Amino acid sequence: MKPSSILPALLALALGAGATLGLLLAEQQWHVATLAIVAVAALFVGGRLGLGDRVYRNAEAHHRIVMPAAWTLAAFVIFALRGHDFELLMLCTTMLYVLAGLGLTVQFGYAGVVNFAAAAFVGVGAYTAAVTMTHTGMPHLLVVLASGVVAAIIGSVLLLPLLRTRGHYAALITIAFGILFRTFLEVNDTLGGPQGLKVPAFTLLGHDFNEAIVFADETEWSFYTGYALLILVVLGAAYTLVRRLERSWIGVGLDAVRLDETAASAFGLNAAAWKIAAFSIGNFLAGVAGALYAMLTAFIAPANFALGDSLILVSIVILGGLGNPLGLLPAALIVVVLPEKLQVIQEYRFLLFSALVIAILLLRPGGLIPRRARLWFPGGRP
Amino acid sequence: MDPAVLAQHLLNGTMLGVIYALVAVGFTLFFGVLDVIKFSHGDVVMLGAFTALATSTGLAAFDIDSTIVLVLILVSAIAVTALLGALIARFLVLPLRDAPTLNVLLITLMAGTVIREAVRLFYPQGSNPKPFPRLLPTGAMEFGAFTFRHDSAILLAIGVGAIVATHLLVQKTRLGLAIRAVAQDAETASAMGIPFRATVLATFALGSALAALAGVVNGLHYSEISFNMGLLLGAIGFSAAVIGGLGNVYGAILGGFIFAALQTIGAVALPFASAYKDVFAFGAVILLMAWKPGGLLAERSAERV
Amino acid sequence: MTAPLLVAAGLSVRFGGVRALDGFDVEIRTGELLGLIGPNGSGKTTFFNTVTGFVTPAGGKVMFAGEDITALAARHVARRGVARTFQRLRLLTELSVFDNLMLGQHLVLDHGVWTNLFARWRLRNQLRAQIEAARGVLSHFSATLPDRLFEPVAALTMIDRRRVEVCRALMRAPRLLLLDEPSAGMTPDETAELMGDLQNVKAARPDLAVILIEHDMGVIESAADRCVVLDYGRKIAEGDYATVTRDPAVRRAYLGEEAD
Repeated sequence: MKPSSILPALLALALGAGATLGLLLAEQQWHVATLAIVAVAALFVGGRLGLGDRVYRNAEAHHRIVMPAAWTLAAFVIFALRGHDFELLMLCTTMLYVLAGLGLTVQFGYAGVVNFAAAAFVGVGAYTAAVTMTHTGMPHLLVVLASGVVAAIIGSVLLLPLLRTRGHYAALITIAFGILFRTFLEVNDTLGGPQGLKVPAFTLLGHDFNEAIVFADETEWSFYTGYALLILVVLGAAYTLVRRLERSWIGVGLDAVRLDETAASAFGLNAAAWKIAAFSIGNFLAGVAGALYAMLTAFIAPANFALGDSLILVSIVILGGLGNPLGLLPAALIVVVLPEKLQVIQEYRFLLFSALVIAILLLRPGGLIPRRARLWFPGGRP
Repeated sequence: MDPAVLAQHLLNGTMLGVIYALVAVGFTLFFGVLDVIKFSHGDVVMLGAFTALATSTGLAAFDIDSTIVLVLILVSAIAVTALLGALIARFLVLPLRDAPTLNVLLITLMAGTVIREAVRLFYPQGSNPKPFPRLLPTGAMEFGAFTFRHDSAILLAIGVGAIVATHLLVQKTRLGLAIRAVAQDAETASAMGIPFRATVLATFALGSALAALAGVVNGLHYSEISFNMGLLLGAIGFSAAVIGGLGNVYGAILGGFIFAALQTIGAVALPFASAYKDVFAFGAVILLMAWKPGGLLAERSAERV
Repeated sequence: MTAPLLVAAGLSVRFGGVRALDGFDVEIRTGELLGLIGPNGSGKTTFFNTVTGFVTPAGGKVMFAGEDITALAARHVARRGVARTFQRLRLLTELSVFDNLMLGQHLVLDHGVWTNLFARWRLRNQLRAQIEAARGVLSHFSATLPDRLFEPVAALTMIDRRRVEVCRALMRAPRLLLLDEPSAGMTPDETAELMGDLQNVKAARPDLAVILIEHDMGVIESAADRCVVLDYGRKIAEGDYATVTRDPAVRRAYLGEEAD
């Protein structure tokens, strides 16, 4: 088989990185708006013309080069932003939304389990991190993991009713839990009440991440650089694992549960058990995102983890393309960065994003980057 | 417990129950005909309340008898919400009939957000709670710790009247028959000549009209409305409909009262933190659903294997 | 005489006021192809649903290979070697033919986290083996389907979809195969083809017992070793095709009271 060129894939990567940097660094509102519109239009048009397909197949065919290249490029983007505090913070927040979105993708995109309390689980992770960091000496990397585990466990508490019920019930239960969680936090003074909690800085091997990184020649990098790289590593690991999950026997099982529980049971699947597993994995990722978010912002409050935020996360997953982790990044950029940059739409962002999701569901349900058929072998056919 | 206090709780609980029942019946009707959960319903309730408020503000310039104002605001609220309900059905829900059911869930959820945000952003001072006009006779009867507001009696009458009217409509009219037929088996109903789309639109209009009523009653009772009152009400209405068994109108009514009872019990049992009453009520709902996933009165739909 | 593979005794199933099954008895032995016929609504699919664990009977028992499986849930029944197709085709149309066949293989596949997420070379080996197995089963039914293994089911014709559904049920080499109106939506030629292919499979697997629900009498006549007729949830006739179709009770069930 004639090897296909790697250029389209690398070109797409470069464009993506460029667009991200441009979006983050642009100062003028109309620059930002133009860039966003052009980028989205490019995705749509590219999809229509079949370019998306070509790039995708190229990227998959050369995945051994393209994947590391992508992550390196991401690190480069972070490096390029090393002097910009606010832009790095936005990038970090975007990446954390992507991480939580990955969790939601496993729950909703693969297993068909509705979760309207994603933000609450992020909150569980955040508060777990805050409390463990303040009151114990647990190494901070472990704290991140523990936060994910706690979120997964609390999620499993909701699971008993979920197991015996269908889609819309799961929706109700998660909404109820979201309300419950926030009320519980606000009424509970030991966890800071509505005022919130302060979170200590992340430290690794003695280095305090809340301190700017100073070099011998007195150049200074924003302290967010450390966090950005940390989050990038975690995101990379999560993304790789979720991708592998989909392209495996587990992925087939999850899809079967989502598409037709009856048929799945007829062939031996324990639909309930699979849903628990997916729900827990997703909440674990949400919890990890929450812990990192807490350390990043050094301060958390119940208001950060409300129903509106859960709906934003759901919007990101739908907008990006349900079941396709690739779409999460552009969607998260649109949802997180755009309102920050376009001050005019800040107030209107919930309204706009809801309207956007409605439009997507009616006109292009596949989202920005629709999910593709399961590609068992990265190089194409076996 | 002091019987007067008990009576007060009972009265409050009944009031809440009526409001919740009105909302829950909407949810259950929508589910019955289309197997969908219209998540925007709570926000439609809110919109009904705000429409009523806007109308009464507009009418304040003229010196009109408050009973007439009450009738007018009810009419305007019902007209607006019924229309909106039908539009949502026509443009958002029906087109997605063949899509995965979760898409409909999402689209209605987003529609609810659009309604909520639109009110917050475009109604003058939308983000602040707004006083609702007092159009009913003030004054109350007092029996010790028990206060029976005169307007409570009227509101209860309105609410119960609406519920009874809905019951009669569903059971005794041709439209009601059409709704029940479509709810049971849409294909056969169409084959029998029942216009599917029209029935669905009518159902959504009906359910949304009840929402307006719920919104106005709510406003009159608490004398205040806010743009996000729909969220909690919607969650409660949905829970109530689920408790009673989705698709079952009587179940929805029962569920409404049960949820009100749960909230009241929660408030009584945990007097130190009244906010916990919601935690208690929703927690109880979750447990209830774990025990009886189909609702207390059976759900009216089944999947063919 | 060997013991029967499946014995259903006195099965009663009620849905609300309707008696879907009303004291239904039936047996099937290994290697047999039993035709299950009866007017619409007579309880045939309900019988399948009861055997496969989707419905719990109000009364009666189902014994499979000597074990009482009456109360077992669907996934446990599947484990014991019972496979089925559905009246209303239940394929995962979004997914590829291969993925659908892999659902049939579910109980055999390795779902370990290590293999699926980390030791990807092991997954690749398993994948290759399964691709071969899938192609093997498909080749019994179609010369073209094995080459279309990775196409979405949505792209297939109705008859190819039915073939895939049957293959899905055959992947794990079940002991008992329940086919629910496999010929629905097919032309007579296609139906004949399907039944021919099924006979080939049976020849290759002589122990496979099959219960076939069908409305097409031609299929029953050519394929079934024995027939059972259901009406209003009870057995009204049993025997070979000729006997059963001559039975006046059967004629009455299908055609109504005979005019005198």
